Amino acid sequence: MALEVREKQPSDVETEQLATGCEAIAEAIRLADVDVMAAYPIRPYDGVMQAAAKLIANGKMDVEYIVADGEHSQFEIVKHACAVGSRVFVGSSGVGWFYAMEAIAVTAGLRLPVVAICGNRALDDPGAFGCEHNDALAVRDLGWLLCWAETAQESLDFALTAWRVGEDKRVSLPVAIGLDGAFLTHSQQIVKIPTQSAVNSFLPKFDLGDRLLHPDNPITIAPQVDQDWLMEIRMQNDQAMRKALEVIAEAHADFKRLFGRGGENPYLDEYMTDDAEVVFIGQGTLSLPMKVAIRKLRKEGHKVGLVRLKWFRPFATADVVKSLSRFKAVGVIDRDYSFGSPYYGGVLYNEIRSAMYSVEKRPTIVGFIAALGGREIEQPMAREMFDKLTAAASGGLKSGDITHWIGVRN
Amino acid sequence: MAVETHGTGTLPQIKGVKDVPYDELFVSGHRTCQGCESALVMRHMVKASGPRTIVLGSTGCMYVANTTYYTTPWVVPWMHTQLGASGSAALGTAAGLKVLMRKGKIKDEKINVIAFCGDGGGADMGIGAISATLTHKDYNSLILLYDNESYANTDIQLSSQTPYGAVTTFSPSGSAKRLMHTRWKKNMPGMMAAGHPESRYIAAGCAAYAVDLMNKIRKALELGGPTFVHTLDPCPKGWDYHPQYSQELGHLAVETGIWPLYEVIDGVCNLTGPTRQIAEGRKKRKPVYEYLKRQGRFAHFADEDVEHFQATVDKMWTEWLIPGVIPFTVAQKDQTLLRIEKRPLHEETKPA
Amino acid sequence: MSDTVKTDPTGITIEIVYRGIFQKTLAQRICRSVVLAARKRGYTGTAFGRYGDSPERNGVPAKYFAVVAVNDLELEASMAKYEPSVVDIAVAVDDTLVKGVESWAWYGRQPIWKPVHEGGAVLVTSEKTPDEVLAQTDTAERPYLMGIVPGLASFAGLWVFKDDHTDYRVLGALAKIVPQWVRIEDVKTLIQEQTKDGSAVASAQDGYERTQLRQVKVGEGTSGHEVLQFDKPGWTTMRPGVIVDARKPGERNPYYKKYGARTLRPVVNFDTCIKCTMCWLDCPDECFEVTPEGHYEVVYEACIGCGICAQVCPVKDCIVMVDELKFEDNDDKWQMWKTDHDAYNRWFEQKSGVSADPKKVALASSRAENAAPGANPTTAGGED
Repeated sequence: MALEVREKQPSDVETEQLATGCEAIAEAIRLADVDVMAAYPIRPYDGVMQAAAKLIANGKMDVEYIVADGEHSQFEIVKHACAVGSRVFVGSSGVGWFYAMEAIAVTAGLRLPVVAICGNRALDDPGAFGCEHNDALAVRDLGWLLCWAETAQESLDFALTAWRVGEDKRVSLPVAIGLDGAFLTHSQQIVKIPTQSAVNSFLPKFDLGDRLLHPDNPITIAPQVDQDWLMEIRMQNDQAMRKALEVIAEAHADFKRLFGRGGENPYLDEYMTDDAEVVFIGQGTLSLPMKVAIRKLRKEGHKVGLVRLKWFRPFATADVVKSLSRFKAVGVIDRDYSFGSPYYGGVLYNEIRSAMYSVEKRPTIVGFIAALGGREIEQPMAREMFDKLTAAASGGLKSGDITHWIGVRN
Repeated sequence: MAVETHGTGTLPQIKGVKDVPYDELFVSGHRTCQGCESALVMRHMVKASGPRTIVLGSTGCMYVANTTYYTTPWVVPWMHTQLGASGSAALGTAAGLKVLMRKGKIKDEKINVIAFCGDGGGADMGIGAISATLTHKDYNSLILLYDNESYANTDIQLSSQTPYGAVTTFSPSGSAKRLMHTRWKKNMPGMMAAGHPESRYIAAGCAAYAVDLMNKIRKALELGGPTFVHTLDPCPKGWDYHPQYSQELGHLAVETGIWPLYEVIDGVCNLTGPTRQIAEGRKKRKPVYEYLKRQGRFAHFADEDVEHFQATVDKMWTEWLIPGVIPFTVAQKDQTLLRIEKRPLHEETKPA
Repeated sequence: MSDTVKTDPTGITIEIVYRGIFQKTLAQRICRSVVLAARKRGYTGTAFGRYGDSPERNGVPAKYFAVVAVNDLELEASMAKYEPSVVDIAVAVDDTLVKGVESWAWYGRQPIWKPVHEGGAVLVTSEKTPDEVLAQTDTAERPYLMGIVPGLASFAGLWVFKDDHTDYRVLGALAKIVPQWVRIEDVKTLIQEQTKDGSAVASAQDGYERTQLRQVKVGEGTSGHEVLQFDKPGWTTMRPGVIVDARKPGERNPYYKKYGARTLRPVVNFDTCIKCTMCWLDCPDECFEVTPEGHYEVVYEACIGCGICAQVCPVKDCIVMVDELKFEDNDDKWQMWKTDHDAYNRWFEQKSGVSADPKKVALASSRAENAAPGANPTTAGGED
């Protein structure tokens, strides 16, 4: 990949910032030379838009910045900018994300690599700003890639990876990055800002090839289809999503080589799992208080660990199964809900349960619904989950067939 | 037959029918109804714009009827967008092209961006996005609203552009209710003109006046910035008449004064075609009954319905600040204050 | 050979092939009546339009189905279907439909008898003889019974239904050829209940008596129609991103020609043409080519017969709309006028019934002359 030289760059050294997840992503937008972004205010994601506006106003980056009249328009604007060859960025939270849902669905249908952050926020009604995952999870069937960041650093890293993987011709699908509301969108952490040259080595130019909408390439994109054609088109999306697993792994290896970060496995992080008997699995920042709890439990002699799932879509079934098959019990922590689902479990619970179905000696799987509406995971809650998990592992608690709501006042 | 090619630069005004370019950029083989004036608008739209054009088509008849996978009638690049997204599609496409050209990622050249919407997608669902785009003076686009006065593609339901009393599948005429739809047509082009002074070009046209329409489209694209053209398209399916009369009904809509033809260029309002002749007193407005009686969607009208229709059209011509464009009236005491000399239009503006 | 149609003893499937929008109400009424009449003797049934046709477009061929079954269990085979792949009877309520059915892009052009099983029937409403209709029908690949139900194509309208009793006559005709499923007594009782109109009942009897039947053998019909069939690609070769190639300049859409939508076609008098451009300019389907001399010739492979050109032409009888069944091919005609002027004018006169001599025509005093209701079929509401 050729080194791109731009005029008037800041000196090309890695720097450090104290930045929120949103601000870190604004830096990624700058480094990726995004062409068009569309903004609309809703908390807690829009810190990224505010940070980006500052960068533009101060001449740090050249991006077409459009304030839309609503989230539906926001996502439509970037979708169309993408179709004419622009690298784009957009985002929303909670019900704003849902207001854009038509645009979100069709973007995947069109195979356009829009990159969006979802600043995870509880859905109305009632209005609430706190962290829940249901907003981002709503894309899970549509053909969007979806991952969750743990730190501000990982937010930036995932953003760069998102353009790299989404725009790859073998994939060409939109990518959503979940950033836990407040905990990640609004909390400042030490973030290493990579050099432009390293980013240029990692991220090629966006090239739609013969899918570019331009008078030199006469095509019609998305004519109306009927029952004779749609299933074949869906098949193509399915194949692209399968390919994405491979492309993510390639990008992960490349990222590690260039930036020295990314963990062992592209799709999940394991913490103290080597000799664990039981593990927890979850997504996003809930990993941090859980790791604190695990260290305490280890001091007490308990063999417990954590698996943090990074990529939700595509779901790395083989890797997840390989990892979780080693344990006697798995506690799935859902920062979301799925009312009326099998076993009343959260979304991740039923996905894990389904993934593990074919394993001969299955671990006991217990579902926990925790920390909804922005509530923290406090240590006593972690302890409660551990007690329930170990009880299930030793057969004391009726198998996995009960979902536990943690920390709810009666 | 020789196919002329367009220059990529200016789009000069077409002097007359003999000057209409031969290039067909929207060709035969689309599943529109016999006599579909909206299809004719599509044909004229890209004939006027030429081949250096990208068209964004929102959901509706001009999407579903025209493009059937795995084929297309479009010669110019074309992309689907959502029902309420024509404004956003225009904005995103124009902004994307602009920045890519500025950054040197694509060749810097004039590319026409046209996003079309029906009356449902434009005047109802998508009006917010269109309004937003018309305020973005830095981006060049034309939003073309083709108005067949219903949500036609879903088999004819009423929209805010459906005329008073018209039958649709959401407003059938029955024994208990003769008229289920009693809302008057929302003044869309006037609203766009009044509300978006930074848009350099807003117009109302009709394919029955093809050269006038094509020139309006060219003017919009030449002036640049965000622009808007609204065409009234007789629709044999929705209006219930034999397709051969589509042109005739377009003429009647204008000659009765129901659909005024005009443009607002850099804030200056200009009436065109028979509308101008009516305002000048050179032509009498035909009675609306001549137009209504030709369409099955008004077949249930009683005398009082026709009278109400006529009275409302009369009011538009005799009381509005600008007939057919701006619906304000001005109190006598304020006419001097606001420097408005309110004279009645010629006596002849009443129907013949 | 029998004058009735043998069907499976458990049920019958009838399709009405019709002109979209114009005959939508007619097709629905026929199908519903078939089911409701059968109900009178304890059978059950379903009636449904082909979903792929919707939204319907004026003139574009569409299908409505009536299925009658002896009980609910047998009916299941016909439920949750887009369209039955095999029918017992196809009823074309416009005789120009026998020239072929093309309903959407990639559909091809299908013979009217395509879904009809061997020994089934094709009923056609027409004022023509069975032989005249057969001369425009694709060569039979299986024997079938053709029935001509007397009457013109009924353009019944969308909001206002012009009742010319076509549906009653069709029901009578069905009773004639499948009495085991459509009993004439049940049909008449149903019509009486619905309309309380003795003349409507009489029309059913009229259809029952006057429908002319003709057995069609393999090989009978015309092979002169274009074969329009396409193989569809699969997901491995379809362009990713829901993309299709644009049309090239000067091309017309080869995958959807749409000429099967017309019941009339325009014939042009090049002698009286004043080259005003209006026909070319106002054609929504871009069906005119400009000749080197500045005439405008109709591309019959594209024309859908809307009639706008005839209406906007300022010269009386310069463009005349003519019954589509009078023509065997889609050849463009200007070349003929250029090379053999007199032969072309004779052709024009023979088809249109109007003189080609410029001395015998004059400029129309107003467009309204061409708009006389008697000149062309109209939907309800065309005039008072």
